[in-house]
Amino acid sequence: MSITLSIFAVILLISLGITYWAARRTATTSDFYAADGRLTAAQNGFALAGDWCSAAAFLGFTGLTALYGMDGAFYALGPLVAFCTVLFLVAEPLRNSGRYTLGDVIRSRMQTRASLLAAITGTVVVNFAYLMPQMAGAGVLVRLLTGISYDWAEIFVGISMIVYVAFGGMLATTWVQIVKAVLMLGAGAIVLVMALSLVHFNPLSFFAEAEAKYGAGYLLPGNYLKNPFDQISLGLGYVLGLAGLPHVMTRFYTVPDAKAARRSVVWVMFLAGAFFAATTLFGLAAADFVGQDTIRAADKGGNLTLPLLAQYLGGGKGSLGGELMLGFVAAVAVATILAVVSALTLSTSSTIAHDFYVNWFKGGRVDGRREVWIARATAVVIGLLAIALGILAQGVNVAVLVILAICVAASANFPVLILSLFWRRFNTGGVIGGMTVGLVSSVVLAMIGPAMRGSEALWPLVNPTIVSMPLGFLGAVVGSLLAGRDMENEKRFDAFLLQVHTGIAPE
Amino acid sequence: MARSEARLEVAQAAVRSLVAAKLRFLVPMTIIFMVGYIGLTVIAGFAKGLMAVKVIGSLNLGFALIAFNYVLSWLLALVYERIANKIFDPLASRAAAAGRRSAA
Repeated sequence: MSITLSIFAVILLISLGITYWAARRTATTSDFYAADGRLTAAQNGFALAGDWCSAAAFLGFTGLTALYGMDGAFYALGPLVAFCTVLFLVAEPLRNSGRYTLGDVIRSRMQTRASLLAAITGTVVVNFAYLMPQMAGAGVLVRLLTGISYDWAEIFVGISMIVYVAFGGMLATTWVQIVKAVLMLGAGAIVLVMALSLVHFNPLSFFAEAEAKYGAGYLLPGNYLKNPFDQISLGLGYVLGLAGLPHVMTRFYTVPDAKAARRSVVWVMFLAGAFFAATTLFGLAAADFVGQDTIRAADKGGNLTLPLLAQYLGGGKGSLGGELMLGFVAAVAVATILAVVSALTLSTSSTIAHDFYVNWFKGGRVDGRREVWIARATAVVIGLLAIALGILAQGVNVAVLVILAICVAASANFPVLILSLFWRRFNTGGVIGGMTVGLVSSVVLAMIGPAMRGSEALWPLVNPTIVSMPLGFLGAVVGSLLAGRDMENEKRFDAFLLQVHTGIAPE
Repeated sequence: MARSEARLEVAQAAVRSLVAAKLRFLVPMTIIFMVGYIGLTVIAGFAKGLMAVKVIGSLNLGFALIAFNYVLSWLLALVYERIANKIFDPLASRAAAAGRRSAA
């Protein structure tokens, strides 16, 4: 464990150095929220890969594949396919029509306070639903990986993220993501090459070995997701939900133009996609070499699969190589958690400071220096809140929140965003209708489903997206029609369309 | 005033042709990846037997289709980037130029 801690200490020192460097370059609101829009497509692509490969991906997909076979591979594929939606429909329009947040896009389209408030609600709910399980996961993992107690792990993770975000803003958060993405991809490449070298670089051997050891059923779907509709719901949640996750979307404001936004999505698709594909092979290799019993004995959710595989490849338990590999992978996992919670904290404080306080409460009449100060203070408050929630969440089943985050993103944020960008008749009534129906149906269905109530569930699906997403769209359309036609808004749509597709802001 | 309105018309016409071009490519491309991926989840849910069909050695059709989806996503991304650079960007800069003139 001391090896993990020393490697992690080095990563932490590098991150703090980055924060110090970034803090000196962060003065304006544009610096704080969007790194002044001056990142390159490749930098943003790496940072997006950092954002999108959370510990749930890094450790979770590998574990799911090792224990349940093909369902784990489904979990890994979805996040890549989701970027097709982002690339085709969302990334460039977002870059063109907003400045820092989802709220900016909705505000510039609707120009009403009520619609801005709806966008803020969607952002805050999704971010907290995402942040809380990440914090809870952080506590458990840091304890497992380093031996620190859960509460201290929460405090340590929370304080580090507060320092990154409050001092270094988007620039520090971005570079922390880039460092983490490089380490993660590096660790992945090393593990992959070592694992493949054991089977003469023929990945098909992983499948043959797994089938021989666990039977053909292991390589079939349905071992984890028992209900067929849950398979589909999971897919829909990914493909549409990613485009509604605020902490991923704000990344498109860090590049200078739509072309760079586009290029950064192509980067992340290759970087993260290759990594996700590799997690499937890692899972199979771990099932073959380490064995499911050992994996379950270490953590029954399978979260330690990848560190255990690395240990095995390095030479096994007790050997220097094995402990070094385990330490490295574990340290990267901790760095991953930290980078993702930082991005969530930044996105949440942006929407509270910029959308809620400055634009909603003060009507935009706050000067830049004061806004940056408020944003930093908000980051500290959000961070402390995250620590408190993380400590309270110990032992609570937070799985439902993970589902909720992606489900609300797909059912509330996504319909509102897409219709804002592409439908002329969409209006404030529609924003409120879509947000309310999408949010309420997601929360209610998730709460009465098996993730929350186990065998006493009143509703069969773990992931309700397949029902709540169409409901969200329906709410948005019905809301628009009920509100009646807003001719002023429809007339403005031409200028908005020009901005969405070219980046030219209306006067 | 009349002249700036006429220029606005030009800009809006340019945006409309850009949107039309985008729809022409993006609708089929979106259908392809949605059918490819959601179709896979439907087969996984309702036709497990089909997924069990062996393709090469122990590799079954399910894993082969998952691999195919990876390749498809990457391919679509590259195709999109090419189309966007060659077709959308020139149309967008024409619309932008017209938009700027109408604002001036």
